[in-house]
Amino acid sequence: MSFTPPPAVPEEFRVLSMMHNIGAITPERSLTADELAQWTGTDASTVKAYLQKLREGGYVELVDISGTEKYHVTRVGIMKVLTLYS
Amino acid sequence: MVTWEYPPRVVGGIARHCEGLAKALSNQDHEVHMFTLDFPGAPDYEETEKIRIYRTRSEVGHPNFLTWVLLFNHFIEKRIAGTSRLVDFDVIHVHDWLTAPAGISFKHFGGKPLVFTAHSTENGRSGLHIPDSFTIDGFEWWSTYEANKIIVTSGSMKGEVCGHFNLPGSKVEIIPNAIDPHAYEGSVDKGAVRARFGIQPHEKLILCVGRLVPQKGIEYLIHAVPIVARRRPETKFIIAGDGWYRDHLEWLANTTGHRWRIAFTGFIPDWDLVALTKSADVLVVPSIYEPFGIVALEGMAAGVPVVASQVGGLTEFIEHDRTGVLVYSRNPESIAWGIDHVFSNPGHAEWLVKNAQEVVRKTYSWEAVAKRTAKVYKEVTEQQQKT
Repeated sequence: MSFTPPPAVPEEFRVLSMMHNIGAITPERSLTADELAQWTGTDASTVKAYLQKLREGGYVELVDISGTEKYHVTRVGIMKVLTLYS
Repeated sequence: MVTWEYPPRVVGGIARHCEGLAKALSNQDHEVHMFTLDFPGAPDYEETEKIRIYRTRSEVGHPNFLTWVLLFNHFIEKRIAGTSRLVDFDVIHVHDWLTAPAGISFKHFGGKPLVFTAHSTENGRSGLHIPDSFTIDGFEWWSTYEANKIIVTSGSMKGEVCGHFNLPGSKVEIIPNAIDPHAYEGSVDKGAVRARFGIQPHEKLILCVGRLVPQKGIEYLIHAVPIVARRRPETKFIIAGDGWYRDHLEWLANTTGHRWRIAFTGFIPDWDLVALTKSADVLVVPSIYEPFGIVALEGMAAGVPVVASQVGGLTEFIEHDRTGVLVYSRNPESIAWGIDHVFSNPGHAEWLVKNAQEVVRKTYSWEAVAKRTAKVYKEVTEQQQKT
C-alpha cells in the first residue's frame, strides 16, 4: 500500500485563517473582497473564488452592509481555523 | 485561568478540559476567573456556575498567526491587569503556549505563581521544520521555564516535555483528563439516531471523532475501510469533526472504492455527538500522536467498545483486551483487526465496555482532577510565600 505525503494547507483555508486573525468574525467586522485581497496579499479574483468555496462549505458568510457585499468567518469557520493551531 | 479555547469556542480537548476543571474547582469552593477570547454571540463577561468568564476581543488583528497571538495576548493581559485591581488572585493557570505570554506577564507584575498545563507540544503535533514551528517551540520552552509548576495529562507527555525541554521531573505533575459521566447517562433511541445518520438496522456503525488533522491518523482508518469491508460487508463509517485536512481525507475516501460507506459529518453539537457515540458499534481512535486522547475516554463512558492506537496517553488508560483494544498506529491492517476483534465476539465486547465504564467512573472524575490541581496551586503558593 502506498501512502501519499500530506498535502500543504489548502490556499482557501489560509485565506479563511487570515480573515479570522484580522478579526473578520462578525457581520459588523466583515470586509469586502477587495479589502480581504489587500489584507491577505492575494489578488481580488483569486480571493473571490476562495470566498465562494468557503461559503459553500459554510465557513464564510456574505452580508449586505448598506448595499456593499462583505464577508465574515462563521462560527463553524472559526472552529475550522482553530484546528490548524491546536 | 487563561485559555484561548473555552465554550462556546470549542475545537479540541482544551476547552472541555478547562470547563470541566473550572466547574469542579468552583464546586470545591475555589473562586475561578476564566480569561479567554471572544466568540460571536457569547457575552464578553458572564458568570456561569460561579465561574467568572471574561471573553476578550483583540482590537487589533494581523493575518500572520504568530503576530495575531501576540496581539490577543496583549488584550487578555490588559483585562487580567484591570481585574487584578479588584480581585487578589492567588495563582495564574495557563493552558498551552497560546496564552502563555499574558500569564507570564501577570506572574511578574502580579507577583503570583504561574502554573502551566502543556496539553501537547509543537514538536509532537507537527514536528519542527518551518519557522513558525520553531517559534512556537520556543514559546513552549519559555512557558515551562517561567512556570512554577507544569501539569501534563499523561506519563507519556511528562516524558516528552522533560526530554524535549530538559526539565527536572519534580517540576512536572501528571494530572489526567476527565469527563462528566452525567453527560452519558440516560438512554437514546439508537435506531432513530442511526437512521438520522443513514445507518440501516442491520448495519454496523464504526465511528471516528476528532479534528481532521494529520496527527489524528484518520487516513489510516480510511485505508482500513476496504479491509474491514471484505470481512464485514455490513459496515459503515462515520467520521465526525472538521479541520484543514478534510479535503485530503475526502479525496482519500474517494480512492477506496468504498466511498458510499464513509460519511463526513463536519462538526456535530455536543448533545448530538453523545447520542451518536452511544449509538455506535465501535469507536476508533487511530491517532499517531495523542498526549491524552479524551475522545477515547468519552467513548468508554458512553458504553461503546474502543479501538485505539497504541500511542501516548491512550496506552495509559486503555488496558488492551480488558477495557478496550489497542492496535498499532499508522497500520490499517491492525486497525481492521481491532474492529474485527470487537465484532467477532459480542460477549467479549460487552465485557470490555463494562470494565471500561468502571475504570472511567472510578478514576477519571473532574472532582478528583480538581482536588489534585488545587494541591498543585497550594504547593506553588506556599513556595512563593517562602521566597
